[in-house]
Amino acid sequence: MPYLVSFHLGWLIGSVLLGFCMGWISVVQRGNGTSKVTARWLAALAAALVAASFAHVVPGRFGYWLDLGLIMFACYLVGCTIGAWLRDRVVARSMRAG
Amino acid sequence: MQKLFRWASKWWPGLIPLAVMWGFAAWNNTLPVEADLSARSSAALKGTVLDKTRIAVDGRDVSLVADAFSEEGRRDAVTAVETVPGVRLVDDRTRLVPEAQPFVWNAERDVVRVTLSGSAPLPSIKGRLTEAARKEVGGAEVADQMGLARGAPPRFEAAAMLLLDQIGKLKDGKITITDTKVSLSGMARELGGREAIAAALKNLPEGFSVAANDVKAPPYIFQAYKDPVAATVTLTGYVPDNNVHAAIATSAARKFFTEKVVDNLKASLGAPGSFNTAVVAALGALSRLSTGTLVVSDREVKLSGDALYEGAANDIRAGLGKDFPKNWQYKPEITVKPAPGPVDGTVCQQLFTDLLAKGKIRFTPKRADIDPDSAAILDHLIETALRCPTVNIEVAGHTDADGEDGFNRALSEKRAQAVIDYLVKAGLPASRFTAVGHGSTQPVAGNDTDDGKAQNRRIEFLVR
Repeated sequence: MPYLVSFHLGWLIGSVLLGFCMGWISVVQRGNGTSKVTARWLAALAAALVAASFAHVVPGRFGYWLDLGLIMFACYLVGCTIGAWLRDRVVARSMRAG
Repeated sequence: MQKLFRWASKWWPGLIPLAVMWGFAAWNNTLPVEADLSARSSAALKGTVLDKTRIAVDGRDVSLVADAFSEEGRRDAVTAVETVPGVRLVDDRTRLVPEAQPFVWNAERDVVRVTLSGSAPLPSIKGRLTEAARKEVGGAEVADQMGLARGAPPRFEAAAMLLLDQIGKLKDGKITITDTKVSLSGMARELGGREAIAAALKNLPEGFSVAANDVKAPPYIFQAYKDPVAATVTLTGYVPDNNVHAAIATSAARKFFTEKVVDNLKASLGAPGSFNTAVVAALGALSRLSTGTLVVSDREVKLSGDALYEGAANDIRAGLGKDFPKNWQYKPEITVKPAPGPVDGTVCQQLFTDLLAKGKIRFTPKRADIDPDSAAILDHLIETALRCPTVNIEVAGHTDADGEDGFNRALSEKRAQAVIDYLVKAGLPASRFTAVGHGSTQPVAGNDTDDGKAQNRRIEFLVR
């Protein structure tokens, strides 16, 4: 894990930034987003991929790509969370001020 | 929390650019990651002892192919790769090198090269053995045909190194270690080489023993060449030590009364038993030849050349065998020199005088027994006497002034008679010779010095 992080640091920072932007937008975006059922399916898919990664069942280069994808995805989620939370604070403050 | 789920339901569009980024990241980084992990794995294996190591990286999975020299070494190698940061899985394709039963190692020497074959226990030992062989044989080529195998006896390297030290002492041959047994065969490069190898083998490491040592010594050669034109006798080859060297040189100087002795002998170990006796006897025979070659090779004596007359040839052919120690072989190839033309009495007298000026007939002190070293001059005197068959010859004996006159006179006459007996035995008619003993009455030099006395003790041949 530390090796993967240090080797792909640039790409991971990119993922975090992408996530940050997406999170920032998501707070004020109108619309319904994904349905609960779809979200559950997506979560289950993610969990299955993480399990496959930890169990080392995917061989060779595909295994490496899976690990890389998951770690980028994790960074994206972290970026999204931070972005959404900060935007939420900003929105709340402006509403109080308004 | 509710808020977070609400936000999160709107994060999915970002997954599309994320997937694109992922694709680029994978495209860009796969080969660098594989190269990096391959380099790190190789570095991790630096400290381990392996043969035929091959590392292949697929993604973050390393496939390790190698021959290990012990179970522990094999496990250590796999662990070393497993602990390289970033490696996900190790495909362990290592195996132990085969065990040699029996464990055989050979070093074979011929004229131009040394071939090392059989098994070595470790690559480092293999390298050191090749290096040692190269150092030992200098210019010769060293061919390394050794394989690697387990099962070497303890202290194998020390034993092999000691044996490689010996390979330089061989002209050709083979040294083999079979488990703890050492066998050697071949021919030593120099005299004494066989003995040196035998001595070195006593230092074999504990546990090793010599099963067979068939190293042969080169023949021990002594040669003498009598050249009547240059009037030299050249001695070449080996003698066992300086004492024998001195004894042979002295003996040669006494036997060869007209020739100069050129001494090119070298001292060396490895002489056969009774070398001194045999060589002195053979030199005596050579001194009686007008021209000849003597070759003593181990226990074989070859003498070839021309005797001065038929009787001497027979004597040398037959008689000399008795002088040699047992288990020596004597191979004479003696021919007779063509007899020189007859001469008259005056020339004969001149020839006798010349001969006796160059050399002396020697006797045992105070007795009338002819010293065997005088065979050469007697042969020459006989040859001369045969050239003037019609003249009568007086053989006169003289002594120095030591001792009583009566004894000296009797001794000188007896000595003269002994010379005549020798001539008669060689085939000359007794009627042609008369023996006269002058004692010390006709000195040719002063009797007050040893040198003068030696000159006065003499035999003269006078044509009558």
